[in-house]
Amino acid sequence: MMQLKALMVKEFKEAFRDKRALMVAMSMALLMPIMIVVMLKVAIKEAVDNPAVYVKYTGEQHAPKLIKALKDKNILSFADVPEDEERNWNERNIELTIPDSFNEDMANGMPVELVMRADYNEKSLATPLRRIKDVIREHSLTIGYKRLLVRGVDVKLLQPIKLLEQDTSLPSSNAVMISLILGVYLMMAAFMSGLSIAIDSSAGERERNVLEMLLCQPVSTLKIVLAKLSCASSIAVISIILMLILTSVAMNFVDLTKIGATFSIDATTFTTLLLLLIPICFLAASLQLFFSFQAKSFKEAQSTVTMLIMAPSMIPFALMMMDDKPAWVSWMPISGQSMLMEDVFKGLPVDWSALLFTSVATLTVTAAFVLTLAKKLTSEKVVMSLS
Amino acid sequence: MIEVNNLHKSFVSKKNTVKALDGLSFTAKDGEITGVLGPNGAGKTTCLRTLYGLLKADEGFATIDGIKVTEKPLEARKRLGIFPDKFGLYERLTAYEQVDYFASIHGMQGANKHAAIEQIFKDLEMGELAHRRTAGFSQGQRMKVTLAQALVHQPKNFVLDEPTRGLDVMSTRILRNHLAKFKEKGHCILFSSHVMQEVAALCDRVIIVSGGKLAAQGTPQELCDLAGEKLLEDAFVKLIGSDEGVAA
Repeated sequence: MMQLKALMVKEFKEAFRDKRALMVAMSMALLMPIMIVVMLKVAIKEAVDNPAVYVKYTGEQHAPKLIKALKDKNILSFADVPEDEERNWNERNIELTIPDSFNEDMANGMPVELVMRADYNEKSLATPLRRIKDVIREHSLTIGYKRLLVRGVDVKLLQPIKLLEQDTSLPSSNAVMISLILGVYLMMAAFMSGLSIAIDSSAGERERNVLEMLLCQPVSTLKIVLAKLSCASSIAVISIILMLILTSVAMNFVDLTKIGATFSIDATTFTTLLLLLIPICFLAASLQLFFSFQAKSFKEAQSTVTMLIMAPSMIPFALMMMDDKPAWVSWMPISGQSMLMEDVFKGLPVDWSALLFTSVATLTVTAAFVLTLAKKLTSEKVVMSLS
Repeated sequence: MIEVNNLHKSFVSKKNTVKALDGLSFTAKDGEITGVLGPNGAGKTTCLRTLYGLLKADEGFATIDGIKVTEKPLEARKRLGIFPDKFGLYERLTAYEQVDYFASIHGMQGANKHAAIEQIFKDLEMGELAHRRTAGFSQGQRMKVTLAQALVHQPKNFVLDEPTRGLDVMSTRILRNHLAKFKEKGHCILFSSHVMQEVAALCDRVIIVSGGKLAAQGTPQELCDLAGEKLLEDAFVKLIGSDEGVAA
């Protein structure tokens, strides 16, 4: 026990004196709240404002009234685009062609065909295009109604059923999206924060020739691994706590009520998230140590481990894409936590049995990695690669 | 007491097999300083690593105070103070913290540990280094820290792999005096070196290893006599050159 304590004290001392590694670990925690706030601000702005849209017209002189109607809704001609936004809108390239026969066809009561060309797959264009369509449809309907009125027909006849749409999903879906991103980011933080510390205390020590000396000492390799594991995972836990605190503080700076969403990290959410993420921190640290102890050099460890670690942190993304989730997904390490986190952010009650099960599964995998690594460290192969 | 008995060790790779140890046996007794001499690649480091329990011999065994290294590696290591071939320092720790770390690993604690660390820093005359971070230490200062951490728990057996490389004259003298003191207290000291004068001045017995085997052993004087040379260096060259009939 005393040995373990000495080993741990030393690991922590070294980790906390390694300012650069510590900064990398904490930078994720510091960046996250800023990112969330910026994203929320953008989302709110989009939902509340009617930002100007610039359209490249052809033949605009034929339909001044339509152009005016569009202009009233802040849809402007590309000719008026301010210089700093010119490149942007040139790239988005919304074209609206008004045929030369516009006035003639309109006077004859013939249908007029306007052409709108744009990249409909481009997400940032979805709202502008919808707005343009709405204005044109409304304009067209107004003319149609007037024609019927002139002929003495009640326009109500055209609307046997009127659907009143009350769109509540749109604004809050932004908030769901943001909380999902927060979940993914938390998972990544759990995985990445301890990375540099883990590599430094394994592959780094090997390269600095201190590992051989440690392996010659009367101490079991299991204790060595446990000390390093607890240090790397503690750094990750600290980083996550910091991130959660800062995020909940940062949330005070955005007015979420504007988009009809509420989101806060209260004490219960905080504790649940921590409970979910702490086993992940241990798993991540064990994976990092496992692979970087086997790397031949510090550099190799850095590149291969970073790659390997990225893979599990992609699981939440994969889950977001999956529509039909098989049952085992909610028990597996990482995927289980990530699904539970989704529930937490959606405000659903926590499935405690699933939480317990997935935590136990995660810790079992961690223990397997630790024991295998401890065994590997006693093998000759490790010693041979020392020199 | 350190005993090495008929050690065989081969390193097998895909392309070739290297026989590093080929039936090496020797004994380093308590109260004696035993020097291990051998050309580069003779198997010294492999032998010492087997002694630490880092490598497992294909055949034969090593014991420390009668404890077989392969059977109880932790017990055996408790009785060892090791100054390894390659060593590094924890550069973010101070010299004191590093020595403290190794003392704790050896099970020392409290006032006892504190006193032992103070003592070793005083003995090796490195008081002013104690509370400096080891990053930027000179080669000699690094050696001293490594020595301090190997000796702090006053092990019954010392194994030192070329302990004087990089040390200045003053430090070498300090080390020599230190080893002599430990010898008088009945400790067993095994050390390898390339400096013949040092081996001649310090060692009670010299073991010459060549090609993974014992080439000769005896006091420096005996070895000189055996080879019919006046200087140990000449005797050494002669002995490793012709290993017929000289293995005592």
